[in-house]
Amino acid sequence: MKTFTPPPIRPGIHPRSGLGYRIDHGMRSSVPCLFVFFVALVLSAPLNLPGQVELMPAVIMATVFLWSVFVPVFMPSIAVFMLGIWVDILSFGPVGVMLLMMLIVHGIALSGRYTLARVNFFVLWFVFGVVMVGITALQWVLCSALALHIVEFLPFVFETVLAFGSFPVLYTGFVWTYRFVVNNADPS
Amino acid sequence: MPVSIQFRQALGKLVLPALILVACGVILLGKADRPLIEKLRMQTADLLAPAYGLVAWPQAKLRWLSGNLQDIRNLEAENIRLRAENVSLRHWYDVAAALADENAALKSNLHWIPDNAPAFVTGRVVRDTSGLYARAVLLAINPDTAVRKGGIALDGSGLVGRVTEVGKRSVRVLLITDSSSRLPVTLESSHAAAIMAGDNTALPRIIFYPQDNVPIEGERVVTNGEIESLPAGLPVGHVHYLRPGQPVVVPAAALDHIDILRIFDYEDSVSPPDAPGRVPLPNVGRTMSLPSQFQSHPDQGLHG
Repeated sequence: MKTFTPPPIRPGIHPRSGLGYRIDHGMRSSVPCLFVFFVALVLSAPLNLPGQVELMPAVIMATVFLWSVFVPVFMPSIAVFMLGIWVDILSFGPVGVMLLMMLIVHGIALSGRYTLARVNFFVLWFVFGVVMVGITALQWVLCSALALHIVEFLPFVFETVLAFGSFPVLYTGFVWTYRFVVNNADPS
Repeated sequence: MPVSIQFRQALGKLVLPALILVACGVILLGKADRPLIEKLRMQTADLLAPAYGLVAWPQAKLRWLSGNLQDIRNLEAENIRLRAENVSLRHWYDVAAALADENAALKSNLHWIPDNAPAFVTGRVVRDTSGLYARAVLLAINPDTAVRKGGIALDGSGLVGRVTEVGKRSVRVLLITDSSSRLPVTLESSHAAAIMAGDNTALPRIIFYPQDNVPIEGERVVTNGEIESLPAGLPVGHVHYLRPGQPVVVPAAALDHIDILRIFDYEDSVSPPDAPGRVPLPNVGRTMSLPSQFQSHPDQGLHG
């Protein structure tokens, strides 16, 4: 897919592309994916946090959504797929459900990104909420179908609410990361 | 190989739908080939078990410290309570000793076959793998210990669950509160048999109890020996009515905070002998051959 790359800020001035620069650039651009990777790892550790189980999908969905809307170069589909497999291996739920949900969120964000990247923060927040409601409902239906009985609905509601509530925090973190970590490595 | 820009764009547009299709394939694969997925997950858990142990250790220390501090505050009241309890326990000890003597005497008169003591291993719970859909814990074990699938997990006060997956350094224990857990139990006072069914809440339900012999509030629930790997008489909890007509079991084990578990191996404690006249089940993949008198002969009619 053709992605829009902004023109370089100072045309004609390029950093020398040595090995050090390339490593630095690679590290900076893999920050979003590494974040999701470590969130999955840390939140599956026995921290005994209240709501830890529901927090992991919430944080991961919001992160994938934000980066797919604003900078899909750093959250490519294949990386979302890999991360989905990783999350599924770490959590002992039905296999592939989280993977599918992450890909769908990524797809929605990607297809609507020309509108979504321009709207007000509150509108974006609302859109994310609606997407999460749909996604969690689908997740619940899939889990029930795979378990062959109706699983309890409340944890899924809790997951949606957590995702909705943690969105502003993650948005702040995203803006900060984009400004100070990733954008400095803007390839020209 | 030089590719035209249009072709590359078309290819790029196809990546996401293809990945979504693969994800659906993964879901089907997980349904079709569970052992493969379980092996993958257990290997990852094995790799991460030492790290999880490192996370769990300071928490255990902290809990121990805070528990100690609370104990110090309640020392006076605790002492008074313990003294009273000690007196009552001493009385019960005498009763128990007398009963044990009597029991031994009676058993020796009856040529009683003693139960063989089950083997067990003890491990620390390193991770709660309970998710939205399951209630289970991961236990770190020594690589040399032999823990089998179907082992029974008990904590200090009661039944916790059963071993469902075994890795090299860790085993997964499915708790009795999991929604796929169904255990045959006996209600001790009303002598009724019932099934304890987990539903992912803290209190598993009692189902299939006899309608003319309903569970009594507060009576003890123990396992019954209906299934081979689970012996009769292990303490499970006591009956409680959430509302009329809805009895649940309050587990004796502290399921919300499991620290150390013992895994018992009752696997071949009681195996039924071959009964005469019992029809042996066919092996999987072969059809059962009928005894000769039931086989129809092509040259004869149904009535010979």
